[in-house]
Amino acid sequence: MGKGGQSHEENMAAWLVGINTLKIQPFKLPPLGPHDVKVRMKAVGICGSDVHFLKTLRLADFVVKEPMVIGHECAGIIEEVGSEVKNLVPGDRVALEPGISCWRCNLCKEGRYNLCDEMKFFATPPVHGSLARQVVHPADLCFKLPDNLSLEEGAMCEPLSVAVHACRRADIGPETNVLIMGAGPIGLVTILAARAFGAPRIVIVDVDEHRLSVAKDLGADGVVKVSTNMQDIPEEVEKICELMGAAVHVSFDCAGFNKTMSTALTATRAGGRVCLVGLGHNEMTVPLTPAAAREVDIIGIFRYKNTWPLCIELLRSGKIDVKPLITHRFGFSQEEVEEAFETSARGGNAIKLPFFPNYYCYDYVLKSVLVGEADPRIQNHRCSAWGYQPVGGGGARRMGRFAVQERASETVALTGPPMETDSLVFGVEEPVPGQLPPPYESIIA
Amino acid sequence: MGKGGNSHEEEEENMAAWLVGLNTLKIQPFKLPPLGPHDVRVRMKAVGICGSDVHYLKTLRCADFVVKEPMVIGHECAGIIEEVGSEVKNLVPGDRVALEPGISCWRCDLCKDGRYNLCPEMKFFATPPVHGSLAHQVVHPADLCFKLPDNVSLEEGAMCEPLSVGVHACRRAKVGPETNVLVMGAGPIGLVTMLAARAFGAPRIVIVDVDDNRLSVAKNLGADGIIKVSTNIQDVPEEVERICKEMEARVDVCFDCAGFNKTMTTALSATRAGGKVCLVGMGHNEMTVPLTPAAAREVDVIGIFRYRNTWPLCIEFIRSGKIDVKPLITHRFGFSQKEVEEAFETSAGGGSAIKYNSKDEEVDLI
Repeated sequence: MGKGGQSHEENMAAWLVGINTLKIQPFKLPPLGPHDVKVRMKAVGICGSDVHFLKTLRLADFVVKEPMVIGHECAGIIEEVGSEVKNLVPGDRVALEPGISCWRCNLCKEGRYNLCDEMKFFATPPVHGSLARQVVHPADLCFKLPDNLSLEEGAMCEPLSVAVHACRRADIGPETNVLIMGAGPIGLVTILAARAFGAPRIVIVDVDEHRLSVAKDLGADGVVKVSTNMQDIPEEVEKICELMGAAVHVSFDCAGFNKTMSTALTATRAGGRVCLVGLGHNEMTVPLTPAAAREVDIIGIFRYKNTWPLCIELLRSGKIDVKPLITHRFGFSQEEVEEAFETSARGGNAIKLPFFPNYYCYDYVLKSVLVGEADPRIQNHRCSAWGYQPVGGGGARRMGRFAVQERASETVALTGPPMETDSLVFGVEEPVPGQLPPPYESIIA
Repeated sequence: MGKGGNSHEEEEENMAAWLVGLNTLKIQPFKLPPLGPHDVRVRMKAVGICGSDVHYLKTLRCADFVVKEPMVIGHECAGIIEEVGSEVKNLVPGDRVALEPGISCWRCDLCKDGRYNLCPEMKFFATPPVHGSLAHQVVHPADLCFKLPDNVSLEEGAMCEPLSVGVHACRRAKVGPETNVLVMGAGPIGLVTMLAARAFGAPRIVIVDVDDNRLSVAKNLGADGIIKVSTNIQDVPEEVERICKEMEARVDVCFDCAGFNKTMTTALSATRAGGKVCLVGMGHNEMTVPLTPAAAREVDVIGIFRYRNTWPLCIEFIRSGKIDVKPLITHRFGFSQKEVEEAFETSAGGGSAIKYNSKDEEVDLI
């Protein structure tokens, strides 16, 4: 049997039950194996692939044939650990690497486990995802987060891992000037990763001005607005090289279209590399021969391998800051999950959308908190709310403080800095640090 | 002044095969530049004809290179040193040498990085506007002339050039004792790539082509399996199945020595996850291929342009017998107007002719 664990609450998850149809339904967890852990999900991001599955029930060769739980970019808190698990205990905050490889095939044994034929990956059919209250997962794929990293940032390790893996395969370093095609989430994490790997100059292109301005804020040295028109390539390549002020050593195509790949192959200097990260079209028509005749190599990228420790370290040390990429937050209810996918699918200003199955992490005015009628604490205008997180052994850690901004008869709106909390305590006086506030209680269900 | 040289030969006029117009070659005088301190003068003995030479003859262009004025053709060559520049220490008149065609600048980043084959200032035999080596004599830097051991003929020396393409490709693709190799196309480049792959230790080599004759030559040269394929893109799935069956294992590295949509598509589909496809052949400019599914299996595409630092290795392979290029030399022609034209005809004809050496004279090798 496992160690730790709590009550007999029914586990719920967001299921993909049909085209454009998500339903929050019960999700029965498998039994906890000796090397597994049970994790209470706290932050789950939405990725383009999740949206694609929702809209089309397929992605490349993967087809959703039966209802499937969605979501794979996730972080949470350990609730229970299997009998053989030594490195984690209940209460630990962890980020999850989604894919379970077989560890028996040649590719796995060679360390290229991301290419394993038997890979079981969250929300790649037929494997269920992690947009749920709890999941069971191998302990070795759960990576402990340092105190200064939030669970949201933990969830961002997944998309960031794609970029880190690409930068490794492309051999990014202090001498490689980088060009990035596409300023969507993957293009943006690629800027961050390339900079962390030492790239001296990074130029990014996109068709959308807003995305380019986000990219500039994230540290791109140059941005170029490009078209979807193939004839514009020679002119765009010229603009790119001028802006770079030097040769393009490595290009990352984070969009994956004929136009972007053709531009990348043309703009990259002889002996350079083009990394195809974006999975746009199946068949592509590109000037392959002239590129090959300049020994411009094309490097394929599929997910990632051995990236969580590095992502966590880059975030911990501040070398990478993913917080600007988290633009919207939604709670774990039928309505909000649907809204989250809508927002993600619309693209536009939404960059990354983490969920909080048990509520929150607030940026500015976010959630109205149902506190119950005539609660005297609401009436008190000097009232504040402190957020607490349960930790192992029945205790609670104080995460931070909110100000009560608005009051209605049954709800209050809170404002405050980002944090994850499981419970709120209202009061007038600040609870004594280090002591559990008496009484410690959960106000939010 | 240089050292060596024969007095009576100073009077001989140097002749060369010039490309003077579409499909028009003329043997005409070819004035040699003065011998620099680091140069040597070489009397050509064996010059092979390559697909690119034929292409220039027929179209006066190849990729972005255009023949705008008459140009001496030919670049696969070997000969005997006649005269050496004042600073040349490693060669003396009488030495038998194979020539590496391309003169790089040695000042740019790419050269200094060792990737001198990509030098933008490269001066390469018979790539316009640089004259080639199908001539009685040429002047060339001494460091690009590699001495041949006694047991390697001048013809084999000339074959070092196409063999170098295969060797460079095998290096870039990291062919070794654990890489099963698939070769698309059994023309001269496919064949030398196969020979090089074997020399690098490839355990299994399967080669495909549309032509039965070429496939049987490939079998004789040591291919473990040969497969006749079509030019029809719908046949790719079936052909990939046959290839994997013939290989009896996964394809780790594939060399596309033809460079067409069909061959590249087959290559990308047949190569295992994490493997490499080397694009060697220069078929079409723009290609329509299933790039994304390949990238999603981390099948990398590696470009090949000529070669670098390959002569010493090629010579060693031939010397030790690890590679035998003699079967690739199927026709020989002397150096006269008529025979040079015939040589190009035969080469352009393709079919069973593999390599054509134009020899300047029928001379017993010393």
